[in-house]
Amino acid sequence: MAKPPLSMSHDELRALVEAHVLGALPADEREAFEAHVATCASCATEVRAYAPVVGALARVVPQVDPPAALRARVLSAVVTDTRPGSDVVSAFRRTDATGSDASKVRLKPDTTYRSVRPWLAAAASIALAVGLAVYSSQLRGRIASLEGRLRDALARADATERREADARRAADEAQSQVAILTAPDVVRIDLAGQPAAPTAAARAMWSRQRGLVFTASNLPPLPAGRIYQLWVLTAEPAPISAALLRPDPSGRASAMVVTPVDMPAPTAMAVTIEPEGGVPAPTGDRYLVGVAPGH
Amino acid sequence: MWLLWAVIDRSGAASRWIEDRAKDEAALDRMRRGDAEALAELYDRHARPVYSLALRVLQDEGDAEDIVQDVFSQAWRQAARFDSARGNVAAWLLTIARSRAIDRLRARRARPDRGAELPPLPEIADAAPAADLQLLAAEQVARIRGALAALPLLQRVAIELAYYEGLTHTEIAERLEQPLGTVKTRIRLAMTKLREALAGA
Repeated sequence: MAKPPLSMSHDELRALVEAHVLGALPADEREAFEAHVATCASCATEVRAYAPVVGALARVVPQVDPPAALRARVLSAVVTDTRPGSDVVSAFRRTDATGSDASKVRLKPDTTYRSVRPWLAAAASIALAVGLAVYSSQLRGRIASLEGRLRDALARADATERREADARRAADEAQSQVAILTAPDVVRIDLAGQPAAPTAAARAMWSRQRGLVFTASNLPPLPAGRIYQLWVLTAEPAPISAALLRPDPSGRASAMVVTPVDMPAPTAMAVTIEPEGGVPAPTGDRYLVGVAPGH
Repeated sequence: MWLLWAVIDRSGAASRWIEDRAKDEAALDRMRRGDAEALAELYDRHARPVYSLALRVLQDEGDAEDIVQDVFSQAWRQAARFDSARGNVAAWLLTIARSRAIDRLRARRARPDRGAELPPLPEIADAAPAADLQLLAAEQVARIRGALAALPLLQRVAIELAYYEGLTHTEIAERLEQPLGTVKTRIRLAMTKLREALAGA
């Protein structure tokens, strides 16, 4: 590293313990922290105290059985390709009859990633910076409001049983929405109001892996027997019906849809007014229309 | 009466757990001498949590299988480096699994950290065995699950992005478009709560 070592006080370093045990420190801070903790007993104690938390985080994930065939594959590959102790360190240990060096040996994760070429890193950083700027501006407002929704939903869960069920549904939905909004492959489509509803506006966020979140505002009240229907346009000729929307009194409507993984990527989206119950293909006036980026 | 049963059940689980730990350490000893049976034994006890963690990080079954192979291959090669004073075998395998999975996730994103210097998860020595025994593994997991669910959403998202997606706090701040100081505070608060959840009765 060309950068000079960071200079931080004990208290500043102590504040990094939690990020450190999660592996969330950038390289320079991690080096400074590791140098400090080697000589600071109280910080070392703090780090050790987090071992059970980190261990539990590793085991708190949904438990899934590996495929049965994997066992034979792993065991035969491991035992035929390598000998135990083929690493330099343990070879060294075998030659050392006292074994006293073993206690000094510490595991270091393999560092093959260091071979990544700098130009590749630079290109990726530029792409990342551009992507993040777009991405994070989309997320900020949504996440803040979803956090509020989730908190409210969880608070409401203390009420009656029926209300608890509703609240949990809302909490789950808020969490699923966050999953979509934070998906690496998220695509945003902004929809603009059409002559039938010039002040209406909407936004859709779509992730192939995680689904679609749609929110609209300023939709005109529905006449009796009518409903708004959301359409996804793809490379296929027929629009796909995604959801029926009934705005609340303030004109807001939202929907969250799990989309099939093999669905073609949306090129555009539209909201039309249709007979109640929805129709297989759009027939009514368009209220909102938006085109996906790049189309 | 049920209380008595709970106590008996707990001590049964505790002795099984101690027994498993001793078996793991014995297996590593045998692996050092080239005993492939011992590796198979270790696989049977730990492949499931290792695979599950890799699957959570990588969200891809094929990639998760590769990580399982990497982990047990590394355990076989480095059996001599394992020091039981610094932690238990299960935690060691999961630390390797997390670090391999995050490396692969980052390679997949073609998204190296600044200067291609990626932060591995630090290896943390275990708390003293006596303290370990106070809480069995399954109970720890249940408590952490409850504590995670009780965290404010942004605190939980910050923890998840760090541990399961390998982002640094700077990257988390960028991803969530929150000030870095806020993200640091959230991580500290959340981790403190998780720690208290394990410590509290």
